Amino acid sequence: MSKALSVTAAFLLAGLSFTALSTAEAATVTIGTDVDAGTLDPRLARDTTAYRATDLLYSGLVHLTPSLEAKPDLAASWETPNPTTWIFKLRPNLKFSDGSPLTAADVVFTFTTILNKDFNAPMRALYTPISAVEAVDPQTVKFTLSAPYAPLLSYLDIGIVSKALVEGGADMALKPVGAGPLKLSSWTRGSAIEMEINPNYWGEKPKADKVSLKIIGDGSARAQAFEAGDLDIIQSPLAPQDVKRLAADKRFGNVVQAGLGVTYINFNVKDPLLASPKMRKAFSMLIDQKTIVEDIFQGVDEVASSVILPSSWAYSKDIKQPGFDVEGAKALFKEEGWSDTNGDGILDKGGKPLTVTLSTHSEDSNRVQSIEFMQATFQAAGVDAKTQITDWPSFSTNYVQKSQHQIALLGWLNIVDPDRLLFGQLSTGGPTNWGGYSNPAVDETLKQGRSATTQADRTKAYQTAAKILADDLPYYIVSDQGYQLFYSKKLPFEVQATSRGNMRGMIGLKD
Amino acid sequence: MLAYIVRRLLLLIPMAAGMVIVTFGLLLLIPGDPASVLLGQEASPEAIQNLRNALGLNDPWYIRLGAYFAHLLQGDMGRSIFQNQAVSEIIAGRLGATVELAVVALILACLIGVTLGVIAATRQGSIIDTAAMVFAQLGVSMPVYWLGLLLMLLFAVTLGWLPSIGRGVPFPKAFLAAFSGRPGVLLDSFSHILLPAFALAANSAAIISRLVRTAMLEVLREDFVRTAYAKGLRRKRVIVRHALRNALLPVLSVIGLRFGALLGGAVLTESIFAWPGLGQLTITAISQRDLPLIQGIVLTFAIIFALVNLVVDLLYAVVDPRIRLG
Repeated sequence: MSKALSVTAAFLLAGLSFTALSTAEAATVTIGTDVDAGTLDPRLARDTTAYRATDLLYSGLVHLTPSLEAKPDLAASWETPNPTTWIFKLRPNLKFSDGSPLTAADVVFTFTTILNKDFNAPMRALYTPISAVEAVDPQTVKFTLSAPYAPLLSYLDIGIVSKALVEGGADMALKPVGAGPLKLSSWTRGSAIEMEINPNYWGEKPKADKVSLKIIGDGSARAQAFEAGDLDIIQSPLAPQDVKRLAADKRFGNVVQAGLGVTYINFNVKDPLLASPKMRKAFSMLIDQKTIVEDIFQGVDEVASSVILPSSWAYSKDIKQPGFDVEGAKALFKEEGWSDTNGDGILDKGGKPLTVTLSTHSEDSNRVQSIEFMQATFQAAGVDAKTQITDWPSFSTNYVQKSQHQIALLGWLNIVDPDRLLFGQLSTGGPTNWGGYSNPAVDETLKQGRSATTQADRTKAYQTAAKILADDLPYYIVSDQGYQLFYSKKLPFEVQATSRGNMRGMIGLKD
Repeated sequence: MLAYIVRRLLLLIPMAAGMVIVTFGLLLLIPGDPASVLLGQEASPEAIQNLRNALGLNDPWYIRLGAYFAHLLQGDMGRSIFQNQAVSEIIAGRLGATVELAVVALILACLIGVTLGVIAATRQGSIIDTAAMVFAQLGVSMPVYWLGLLLMLLFAVTLGWLPSIGRGVPFPKAFLAAFSGRPGVLLDSFSHILLPAFALAANSAAIISRLVRTAMLEVLREDFVRTAYAKGLRRKRVIVRHALRNALLPVLSVIGLRFGALLGGAVLTESIFAWPGLGQLTITAISQRDLPLIQGIVLTFAIIFALVNLVVDLLYAVVDPRIRLG
């Protein structure tokens, strides 16, 4: 027995010294992430890890700075001779990580495949205003648009793939070859994506020689692995309770900033109960944003005021959705003919009780709690509120996307441009207009916002739209999502955060 | 004996076919569309339909099921919708990690369970007995993910003795490295597997310890044990050679079943400890509705489970001379 004990002790000690050794390698950065990338082909990326990893492995024509300005990446410069033509000049002697040259043909190939319907690129809709993309010469690419499309530049940071490699049968999804600061060294599915410096990158060398993305699905386990020193950096999504504990720990640096996502209520305006803006307004006034943000999201997010993010150039603090006001809501219900005639505590009209279903998906426990909290406030105000909570595939495909919902709580991410939250979602017949909202005035301003060429004109258009939407309320924005990053102070370089969680700033580059 | 094994192996075929049909039926019933999950929230309905057609999801169910069987007969489990890789390749890449974790957990569970059970039975009513049964009660009632997080908090975060997450070099390779003079590699693999294996083993260890205790208490009252003592054999020899061997028989069948539970428990343990095995893959595949991958994983689990039970049945014959298989 004692022999067995001493052998176990020896194993334990050896394990201890070994782990200590592995964290001592200074130039390796280990970053925790919540999901594995589905693919490492930037054209097919659809999850946050894929976006973030492909941003390191590939370069796009432009790179978005943390303040979302497009700066030159593969393209050295660009011009717009007229609102429907964009011409990009590539840097000289660009190379992919395998040493092969990167030319205009690769750029054309990348966008042609994205626009091909049968390629099934998740972000295809963002690029459909492009009617033609052609190589003028090996270093010049010309985009022709079907109509002026101002947000385009924000989407041209998508990674460029090699035409020769893809046509030669190489699978970019598993064996990515790009022109980004890093290249792939190995990928253990479900476990880790290992990357190293790409010697052929045109720009500054990252300060980290090796970058390891460790996939830990459980949020608390990820936070603990970070505290144990097995991870150098973790970032949103993080559980609010972990955030508080980590923020108090002096070993870690911490960045909290506004993110690029919103949590919002989607009203199904096709539902007879919710067809009138007054009813939507009354229900909105029953949503206690402050409590949801401060107590459920524990101050990680901010109370939202309109469909424009506070960090956006188009934001105006004068545009405000209605706030929490139970009495005001009751008055509106009364105006619409709802009152408690039978004294059962539930409002009714024509003998029918005021019944409504609140729904969300089960993966995000904060959203589930928010819906349950809303149910309580609704009921206190005399609304018979029911909840429906299912997992994401059931909730999205069979419910919200089929307009089966009444009041649904969900979110949008990556709102790099106001267009991204509004055009597809709230234009008449838009592809993601699940609530069936239609307002010609909004359609017109959203079109203007897309096609105007100056930021002042675009701002005006989006503010007009936001004002109408704050009254009409097809969406009620509950919170603007916050973004957090924690890093070990032992890292030998400065860590820079971006609200999208992109990682060039985490490997010693200036993002 | 050989005929018995062949017959049992042949029985695997209808069982596997049944599994495929049941899984297929369940997947038809649960709502959610892989095409929509794959394309994300921003996809248009047309794009989703287009992808559904390309994936064959719009075909009637009997055609899809027939096609699946036709491919399966040729040894092809299809392609994962999300990883765009052959299902068999993906599973092969993950299977080793899960089997390694489950086997180490099973060994741990047996060692802990049998030791505790024997000690508790031989000192019935003592403090040690009570302590062992309190442990067993805790082990049975603690959910594996909760225990996993607690272990991680103690051994990785607070004490810093063991790594919190991930897997070292696979054991077969690690042993080779150790033999070629690099014991550090094996120690690293060992330090990585300890926490997840223990978290996974706790529940089975608890169940086994209770069973062993009960079985031992029964056997210790048997006549042959008294005879053995009467012959003047030492207590240790009586307990280990005479009593334990007889007490283990009912335990053996439970150990076989526990292996199935361990594979199931691995689903949660793996996602806590970022262990790159089938369990973690299962969660991802289900949350994405990656139909071919879910089918492949369920089929693989079912076959492993059936094989383990076959091995257990064969072991019966070895442990109990009264049993003859044929």
